[in-house]
Amino acid sequence: MTVEKEGLSTAESLRKARTYGKFRCHNPTCMERIQPEKGKKTAKCPTCGMEYRVHWVNPNLPRIRGPVWDVNRKLAEAKLKEMGVK
Amino acid sequence: MAKTLYIDYQKCTGCRLCELVCAVFHDGISNPARSRIKVMKWESEGLYIPMSCQQCQDAPCMNVCPVKAISRDEELGRIVVDYDVCIGCRACVAACPFGAMNFNAKDKQVFKCDLCDGDPQCVRFCEVKAIEYLEVDDMSIYKKRDAATRISVAGKEAVALQAAM
Amino acid sequence: MPLDRKIAYIDLTTGDIQTKPIPLDVRKKFLGGRGLDAYLLYNHTEKGCDPLGPKNTLMVSGGILTATCASATARTQIMANSPLTGLLGSANMGGFFAPEMAWAGFHHLVIKGKAKHPVYIYIHNGEIEIRDARDIWGKPVTDAQWAIRDDLGDQEVKSCVCGPAGENLVRFANVMTGIKNSGGRSGMGCVMGSKNLKGVAVRGTMDIKIARPTEALEYNKRFIDQIVSAKVNQTQGVLGTPFIWGATNSWGGIRCRNFQYNQCEYADDIEPERIDEICEETMGPYHMTGCFGCQVHCRAQYKIPEGPYAGVYDEGPEYTSQGAFGGETDTPRAITVLTGNHLVDKFGMDNLETGSLISWAMELYELGIITSKETDGLDLRFGNDDAVIEMIERICYRKGWLGDALADGGIAASEKIGKHSFDYLIQVKGMSNLHSDERATPALALNIATGSRGSDHLRSRPAIDLYHLPEEVLRKIYGNPVSYDGPLSSEHTEYIGKPWQVFWQENCYMGVDCLGICKYHTTFLGATLPNFEDWSKVIYYNTGLEMTPEEIWEVARRCNMIERLFNLREGLTRDDLKKGDMLNHRYFDEPCRRGAIDVVGKMIDKKKFIKMIDEFYEHKGLDQKGVPKPETLEVLGLENEPSHLV
Repeated sequence: MTVEKEGLSTAESLRKARTYGKFRCHNPTCMERIQPEKGKKTAKCPTCGMEYRVHWVNPNLPRIRGPVWDVNRKLAEAKLKEMGVK
Repeated sequence: MAKTLYIDYQKCTGCRLCELVCAVFHDGISNPARSRIKVMKWESEGLYIPMSCQQCQDAPCMNVCPVKAISRDEELGRIVVDYDVCIGCRACVAACPFGAMNFNAKDKQVFKCDLCDGDPQCVRFCEVKAIEYLEVDDMSIYKKRDAATRISVAGKEAVALQAAM
Repeated sequence: MPLDRKIAYIDLTTGDIQTKPIPLDVRKKFLGGRGLDAYLLYNHTEKGCDPLGPKNTLMVSGGILTATCASATARTQIMANSPLTGLLGSANMGGFFAPEMAWAGFHHLVIKGKAKHPVYIYIHNGEIEIRDARDIWGKPVTDAQWAIRDDLGDQEVKSCVCGPAGENLVRFANVMTGIKNSGGRSGMGCVMGSKNLKGVAVRGTMDIKIARPTEALEYNKRFIDQIVSAKVNQTQGVLGTPFIWGATNSWGGIRCRNFQYNQCEYADDIEPERIDEICEETMGPYHMTGCFGCQVHCRAQYKIPEGPYAGVYDEGPEYTSQGAFGGETDTPRAITVLTGNHLVDKFGMDNLETGSLISWAMELYELGIITSKETDGLDLRFGNDDAVIEMIERICYRKGWLGDALADGGIAASEKIGKHSFDYLIQVKGMSNLHSDERATPALALNIATGSRGSDHLRSRPAIDLYHLPEEVLRKIYGNPVSYDGPLSSEHTEYIGKPWQVFWQENCYMGVDCLGICKYHTTFLGATLPNFEDWSKVIYYNTGLEMTPEEIWEVARRCNMIERLFNLREGLTRDDLKKGDMLNHRYFDEPCRRGAIDVVGKMIDKKKFIKMIDEFYEHKGLDQKGVPKPETLEVLGLENEPSHLV
C-alpha cells in the first residue's frame, strides 16, 4: 500500500528550503532577498530602492509591515508620469 | 518527584485538540465525551477553561469510594481506579468537586485522567502550552515568576507615565 | 470498516426525514464534504429551480476526515443553488459545528422544502427533530444560537444559523456558527431564510471509530509539526489573517476606491500590527483563538474600543473585513473596520460582498450615476466612515431605495440603476470580487475568472505564485501527484504556466474541502504545507480507506467537473460577463496606479488572458466553449449524470 511508504512527502522535504530572518522585496521584478538588521524598524531594498517598514513577528521572523508611504507615492507617481498615464 | 498538569487557561485558544487526542489515545476512538480533559467555554466572552483531574492529595473520589477501588499512585502522583474492584456506583462522579471523574454509559465504567502513564497527550499536542506537565513543587515558582513579571511591567509603566507627566 | 457515516434527507414541507449510510463506492468517487455535496446538488435539484423556492436543496456537511484524529477538521460545507448568482452556491466555515454534527451521527444533510413557519432542526445522537423557531426568528447570529441552547437546556449544543440578513432574503446572507465563523459568499443564509429555517443545532456523544488509532495520533503530531513550522502559519498565529491583507496592500494588490486604486495608502491604522494592538489592549496578551483541533489559532478576539458599539465582544477581523470596510471604501480606520466586521457578524451577511457593493455604490455616487435621491440623503462619498456603517445596516434590513437594491446583489442592482453602472461593478458570475486587485498577477486573475462559485480566491488561487519560488521548487509542487512537464515561471507577472498552477490549485482546494480540513493546512499560503501525498496517509490511518495521491487527485477533478456540469446546466457560458468565465473590462483597460514600482502601470493583457483560459480548459478537459469533452466525462466516470447513487 503506497500510503505506508516511509520517508518524507514532497511538502515535508521542502521544509529545508525555508529561510529565516529574511524577506523578499515586494517589487515584482526585483524580489531581492532582504535581510533586515535584527530588531530594526525599516529596511531599504539595495537593488530597487523600495523602502519598507518592518515588523518582527518574533525575534527571528521579520515581515514587511508596509512601504514607507511618502517614498512609495513618490516612486509611483514618477513611474506613472514616465509611462504617460494620467 | 511526581509531576502534574499545570493549566494556564489564559493561554488556551479553545481548540479542544486535547479532548480529541485524549479520547483517541485512551480508547482508540474520536469522541470528546470520552475525553478526560474538557474545555469549558463562555463563547460570548471568549473565555475557555480546560478542566481536568487535580490528582488531589486528600481525594474526595478516593474517600467516598465504598469498595476502595480508588487509590493513590505515589510514583506518578496520580489517583487511579482499579477496575477489577470498581462496582460502577458513580459515587466518585458525584463527589468530585471539579467534575473530573466521568462515567461512560457505553463501557459502563468511570474514567479519569491517568496522566497517560507519564506522557500526557494533551500536553504533547498543545502548541500554545496552555497545559504543561510540571514538577508539583515547582508550580508555585512559575506562578511567582508570572506575577513578578506583571508587577515589574506595571512598575516600569508607572515610572514611564510619571516621566511623561 | 470504520467509515460508517450517514446522510440525512430532511423535507421541511412535509416533515419527512430519512437517513441512509453513505455507500463506500460513493465515498471512493466523491470522498465527502464539498465534493459529495456537489454530487448531491447536481442530483437533487432540477434544472432552473428557483433558488428561493422550496425545490432548492441545501446541503450541510463535514468532510471525510471530520471528527477524526486529523488536524483541524473543523470546516463545515454548505451548498445550494445560489440566490445571488443562479449558479453554484457554496460556502465553507470553521468553528465547531461539523465535528459536533459528526458526533451527533451525521456527516451530510440534504434539506429540501419550506417550513410553514420558522423552525430549526435539532440533531442529537442519531435523532433528528424539527422544532419551532418562531421565538428565535429575528434574532441576530449569536443571540439566536444562545436562544437555541436555552430552548434545549444544553449549553454544549453547537448550531449554525442565518441572521436577520438571511431572514430578509439578502442575496448574500451567510450561514454562521459561533461568534463569527461564516459560511459566506453566494448567499447560503438566504437559502436558509427562504426555507423558514433559522438554523441547525447539533449535539453528539457518539463514537467515530479510528481505523489505526496509534498511527493516526502519531501522524497527526507530524502533520501539526508541518503546519506550525511554516512561517506563514506562525505569522497567522500572532497577527491573524489581517497579515495577508497587510502584505498584499504593501505591494499594491488591494482594491481601493472600488477599482480606482490598487493600494490603500497610509493605512497604518488598519494594518495587522495595529489591529493586533487593539486586540491586546482589549483582550490581553493571549487573544488568539482557533477552530476545532487547530494549532494555527489565526482568529483574534477583540472588543470594539470606542463609538456606539464600544465594549462589544467579537472575533476577527479577518483580512476580508479589512478589505471590505477599510480598503475598498477608502476608510482605513480601525474603528470602522472593527464596527463593520461586528455588524456583518451580527446580521449574518457576507462582508466581502457588502463592502464591495458599498464601494461600487460610492464610485457611482461620486460619478453622479446615483445621487442623494437614491441614497436617501446619505453622503456616499469614499472615505465617509459613517456612511459605510449606515449602509451595512440599510442593506441587512433593506432600508431605503439603495439598501433594498444592493440587498439583491450587484447585477440586479445594476439593472435597477442602469446608466452603465454595470461597467463599474467588479464581479464574476454575479458575485463581487473580494478586496484584492489582480491586475498585476495574471494567475490570480485567471483564478477569479474561472472560480466555480463566482469571483473567489478560495477555489483555485495559486497564492504561492507571489513568492518567486525557484522553478525547481515549483516543479516539485506542481508536478505532483500527476506529472507536468509544460512551462512554469517564477515570475508572478507572467502568463506562462499559470493555467496549470490554477488547475492544480483547483484540485488541491477541492481536495481539502472533501477532507473537511482548513486551507491554511495545505498549499494555499505556504509552499511547504501538506497536500495529496500527505492526505493519502491521513485518510488511511483515520478511516482505513486506501486512496493513492493520484486517486485523490482524480476525485478532486471529478468533483470540480460536477460543479462545472451544474453551472453549465444553470446557464454558464464562457464569455458571458454576468454568467461566464470573464472579467470586468477594467482589468484590461485601467492600469494600476499605485504599489511597488513595477506594479504601477500593470494591467491584464486580454489576448494573453484569453489564451490562458483556453489552456486552462484544456487541462480540465473542456472544449473551447468550456464544456466537458465526452472523453473527459468518460475518464472521470461522469458520463451518466445524474446517476442518483445516493
